[in-house]
Amino acid sequence: MERNSKPAGAEDASRNLPTKPENENEGNQLHSEDRDEVEAQAAAQWSLAAKMQQVKNYLWNPEKREFLGRSGQSWSLILVFYLIFYAFLAGMFALCMYTMLLTISPYIPTYRDRVNPPGVMIRPYTYSFAFNFNASERSTWISYVDSLHHFLQAYNDSIQDEKNVNCTPGQYFIQEGAEDKEKKACQFKRSFLGNCSGLDDLTFGYSTGQPCVLLKMNRIVGFHPGNGEPVKVNCHVQKGNKSDLKSMDFYPETGTFDLSYYPYYGKLTHVNYTSPLVAVHFTEVKKNRAVGVECQLKGRNIQNNITNDRFVGRVLFTLNIGG
Amino acid sequence: MGKKKSEVYSVEVNGIKDIETTNEGDGKEKYRGLKDHLGHKKDHQKELKKELDLDDHKLNAKELEDKYGTNIIRGLTSTKAAEILARDGPNALSPPKETSEIIKFLKQMVGGFSILLWAGAVLCWIAFGIQFAKDKSASMDNVYLGFVLALVVIFTGIFAYYQEAKSTNIIASFSKMIPRQALVIRDGEKKEIPAGQLVVGDIVEIKGGDQIPADIRILASHGCKVDNSSLTGESEAQSRSCDFTHENPLETKNIGFYSTTCLEGTATGMVINTGDRTIIGRIASLASGVGNEKTPIAIEIEHFVHIVAGVAVSIGVIFFIIAVSMKYPVLESIIFLIGIIVANVPEGLLAAVTVSLSLTAKRMAKKNCLVKNLEAVETLGSTSIICSDKTGTLTQNRMTVAHLWFDNQIYQADTSEDQEAQIFDQSSATWASLSKIVTLCNRAEFRPGQETVPIMKKIVVGDASETALLKFSEVIMGDIMETRKRNRKVAEIPFNSTNKFQLSIHETDDPNDKRFLLVMKGAPERILEKCSTIMINGQEQPLNESSAEAFQTAYMELGGLGERVLGFCHLYLPEDEFPDTYPFDVETMNFPTSDLCFVGLLSLIDPPRSTVPDAVTKCRSAGIKVIMVTGDHPITAKAIAKSVGIISANSETVEDIAKRLNVPVEQVNKRDAKAAVVNGMELKEMSQEQLDEVLINHTEIVFARTSPQQKLIIVEGCQRQDAVVAVTGDGVNDSPALKKADIGIAMGIAGSDAAKNAADMVLLDDNFASIVTGVEEGRLIFDNLKKTIAFTLTKNIAELCPFLIFIIAGIPLPIGTITILFIDLGTDIIPSIALAYEKAESDIMNRKPRHKKKDRLVNQQLALYSYLHIGILQSLGAFLAYFTVYTEQGFRPTRLIFLRSEWEDGNINDLEDSYGQEWTRYQRKYLEWIGYTSFFVAIMVQQIADLIIRKTRRNSIFQQGLFRNKVIWIGIASQIIIALILSYGFGSITAMNFTTLRVQYWFVAIPYAIVIWLYDEFRKLLIRRYPGSWWDKNMYY
Repeated sequence: MERNSKPAGAEDASRNLPTKPENENEGNQLHSEDRDEVEAQAAAQWSLAAKMQQVKNYLWNPEKREFLGRSGQSWSLILVFYLIFYAFLAGMFALCMYTMLLTISPYIPTYRDRVNPPGVMIRPYTYSFAFNFNASERSTWISYVDSLHHFLQAYNDSIQDEKNVNCTPGQYFIQEGAEDKEKKACQFKRSFLGNCSGLDDLTFGYSTGQPCVLLKMNRIVGFHPGNGEPVKVNCHVQKGNKSDLKSMDFYPETGTFDLSYYPYYGKLTHVNYTSPLVAVHFTEVKKNRAVGVECQLKGRNIQNNITNDRFVGRVLFTLNIGG
Repeated sequence: MGKKKSEVYSVEVNGIKDIETTNEGDGKEKYRGLKDHLGHKKDHQKELKKELDLDDHKLNAKELEDKYGTNIIRGLTSTKAAEILARDGPNALSPPKETSEIIKFLKQMVGGFSILLWAGAVLCWIAFGIQFAKDKSASMDNVYLGFVLALVVIFTGIFAYYQEAKSTNIIASFSKMIPRQALVIRDGEKKEIPAGQLVVGDIVEIKGGDQIPADIRILASHGCKVDNSSLTGESEAQSRSCDFTHENPLETKNIGFYSTTCLEGTATGMVINTGDRTIIGRIASLASGVGNEKTPIAIEIEHFVHIVAGVAVSIGVIFFIIAVSMKYPVLESIIFLIGIIVANVPEGLLAAVTVSLSLTAKRMAKKNCLVKNLEAVETLGSTSIICSDKTGTLTQNRMTVAHLWFDNQIYQADTSEDQEAQIFDQSSATWASLSKIVTLCNRAEFRPGQETVPIMKKIVVGDASETALLKFSEVIMGDIMETRKRNRKVAEIPFNSTNKFQLSIHETDDPNDKRFLLVMKGAPERILEKCSTIMINGQEQPLNESSAEAFQTAYMELGGLGERVLGFCHLYLPEDEFPDTYPFDVETMNFPTSDLCFVGLLSLIDPPRSTVPDAVTKCRSAGIKVIMVTGDHPITAKAIAKSVGIISANSETVEDIAKRLNVPVEQVNKRDAKAAVVNGMELKEMSQEQLDEVLINHTEIVFARTSPQQKLIIVEGCQRQDAVVAVTGDGVNDSPALKKADIGIAMGIAGSDAAKNAADMVLLDDNFASIVTGVEEGRLIFDNLKKTIAFTLTKNIAELCPFLIFIIAGIPLPIGTITILFIDLGTDIIPSIALAYEKAESDIMNRKPRHKKKDRLVNQQLALYSYLHIGILQSLGAFLAYFTVYTEQGFRPTRLIFLRSEWEDGNINDLEDSYGQEWTRYQRKYLEWIGYTSFFVAIMVQQIADLIIRKTRRNSIFQQGLFRNKVIWIGIASQIIIALILSYGFGSITAMNFTTLRVQYWFVAIPYAIVIWLYDEFRKLLIRRYPGSWWDKNMYY
């Protein structure tokens, strides 16, 4: 390499020119450094461009007519292979599922251990189990009322009379016979709910600040609640002053789920089954404050104290009645 | 004796010219290379330039005293020394810059998949933040998941860091040096101080056996010889005197270099450079400046991480978009995204890879390959070129008698490590005479007190050649010291460079023979000059034309083998002229030194290790090119190369062809020559392209007379051919090349610390054959890592599909994020490590090294087969288990479709199933966990099948043997036990989302496990049956 003529190198060289030969190297060094830098930049650009080109080529290689590194023929071969392979797998899976379903009765679920003990739900359906309304403002409670009317449609006396049979209360309505034989359902008439039936008071007491809440025990196929003794409903203030909830009425008056509605035989055979209800009429609730209410089921094979599940054997909701 | 010249012993037939020229020219060039190369690295150039500034060798004592403010007689004063010490720092090489531990740790925290998981964790917290802002009672699930993800990253990071640190510690403890002492004159007194305390201007004394404590200018010397091999690679001992003999500081005789050893004699010198400013220090720092190349396995793992991360992110984003366009809230979509990422990332894989590598490292350490850098374990396996140093690696690094010539015949001596089988004909009377000369005309002695040590391991005082002769004769004739005692020495002329011979006169051990025996050895032509007769079969015969010619032929032949030839002659002095009492005077030489009787020749060489030829053959059949790179002379290098098979018996160099055809070298087509011997001088003249051409065209290459920088150039040249280059070396001069190589292999016994520091691997037994073991282990681990990765990737699909179907078909979530982590970091860990113990499927040493850019660790076939074949099969099996659980509990598959929003609504506590039963939210949740558990168990069961099929890639399981790898069964047992513990042990801990499972659900996926196994056997069968077919190309990974 020749001596660099760049100012820095030259200056440096001239300063020490007479004696030290290694200054030549200094010059060379600067030179080579500059060059390296340029080269490095060029290389970086080049490699980026090359990478882009590589990607492009990979996507579509016009020379070999390849898409994603495979030619048309190769693609069709591989697609045919996967088609056959997956068709085979799908067939095998379908066969497995079919076999599995064959082993399972459509009338009675194989296991009922997870759905037992039964949960409890309330109607009307509310978001987050809070009844916030003002008795004097219709708009605040009309949705509850509509919900209840809708829900109780199936319990209309006419429908019940037409579809279901009248059963002897106080004993399980056990129906013998083949699994697939259609089972009869017992009548649960709307009128059983008295003041909460929505027949006399179309507003279910909401317009007077004495709301009705319907309790429904979750259905479980073949479950005999209470073991011969009807399950009873009991409501109280969950936390706080007991006097917040002075009085309430239950409909049917016993406040129980009658044994005759059980056992449940499943959707397929117990077609017209309507879940029995217990209506709670909160006739005197402290107004203008949130009153936490817990309604519990009490019965022999009923649990109402499972920590993780607040809906097994009990239901919690708040009543916040204004006005 | 002090002026003994080293060249005397060197090959003088046609080697002499080479030596002369190289000594003249090469010396400068060798070190000029330091500058030329790496020119762009400013620091180094500056440092190296300083080297040329060194002119202390030109100064006389007075000037030196002035320059360093010292006194040659009294030394420095203590105060002054302390001052300089404070200024210059201690006389020690600063250790190579270590990345700080915290940086290393943080690197583990963000490397690999960690970034993805961190992103997942942060997304979790953000999601929770948003939820919390909306609703103060938001579930903490996302916070927990975030913490779990963070913990996963931190734990795997700590684990990898620990593994890394553990393997680094081995080497750290190994390379610890014992502090050396130096004898220094200070305040006019001799003192022993630690070598680290030396400063410039100190006057030090060295004696035979010492390591030179700093760069010193020799002021006085008494027969001082040094071994500069750690600096130049030449094993030749070099004399040191106070004379300025060469412009180049590295060639002049009056400078001794730090860390070289003084072999014999004594010398006094002035310290002129200490610590990092010494020549060795500069080369060492040059090495640390050479960038460490990424190991091939690191590149492969990075490639694999990119693939998996790419798949994870793209699937995540695609489904995020799908989820959003399906009107899922953004927040939920983010949570889906996290799930997809977690499902896609094999969290435990990198840890498993690290463990597999460290297991192999351990195995290799047992076989004397100590791996400093875990990733280097595999590098040897992909090595395609080994650049091996000659001295010490290929050879035993000690002179040994290789051939004898007497009675007009060349005999071969045993040069193996123990030399037990000396089988040449020892019956001739000539041998009796020759052996006597060899025994008597020798100043080397065994150090006393080594009676129990085998001869070859005894420590000898004396130079390399005499040591060789001493051991040679000791092996054949037994107690030499006793023989010498019986033949009392009466006079002696030690070797010197003017005489080029060594002579001694002895009484004979025959009591009836009162004659004296004069024995002489030296440069063969000098010895022959002094002879008038030659001994043939014990009879003295006049030395005529024909016997002189026979001598010449033998001399040329042995010289041509690169051996150092010595001539031996003797003379019985007539009793009448030289009576008992004759006063021999070595000064006046009052005895005859001509008309002697020539007895024979002995030739010495540093012989190859006996295991090397076999190892070289193995390398060759494994497709690895072995290149010899040495600082030694071309002839010696070529001879050794031939004897170890680096140049095979029937291949020729250009020069050989020229010689055979009797044409000038230029006329030979270079491509005809398989072998090439390239001199450092030629290499210097070569352009990059020419070097490439040499490397491509010749399969058998020897580089001789190379400098450290040229080694570096050669390594780079090889790397330009896309080769993975292994470099072996022991000297400081090798360290830059060791660093530059893809894998640097240092010698554990002979290696200098600088070399060991620069290397990735240390051969504890200095044995080239250990490299072959390393290659084998490296290849095996590459294959096994492939299996591990294939095993681990498979279940990712089974983890991912649930999420996709959950999003698209709205079924309750089949497997939770935490459960996935329990597969990735629980059941799958031990099995994936167990695959590292798998034996090779075929002879891995008979195939070519993998191509760095074509044979990837994770290739398309592996990914497709794992993801789209076995992975899909696994998903189906797992879904079968999932649907079975739900159906048996009352939710038939048809009911599950699009049930998701109701299913997950906490306010719906009377959700109807297919039978009309009503479920509370918690009951559904519990059912979901049963689903998780069953899905988990199904994956686990199928992963057992996956583990078994991954044992082989081509062979049938039965060919490989189901029980040969016992660790696999430990892995399977661990899978089952962990799953049992999770299901039955923690069934009640809801945070873990595991429930106890009915016994039959453990068996649902077994048919699929069997299908997986059958399908893979079918795949392997077709691959074996139809090699090269479409199936082979697409299905062999």
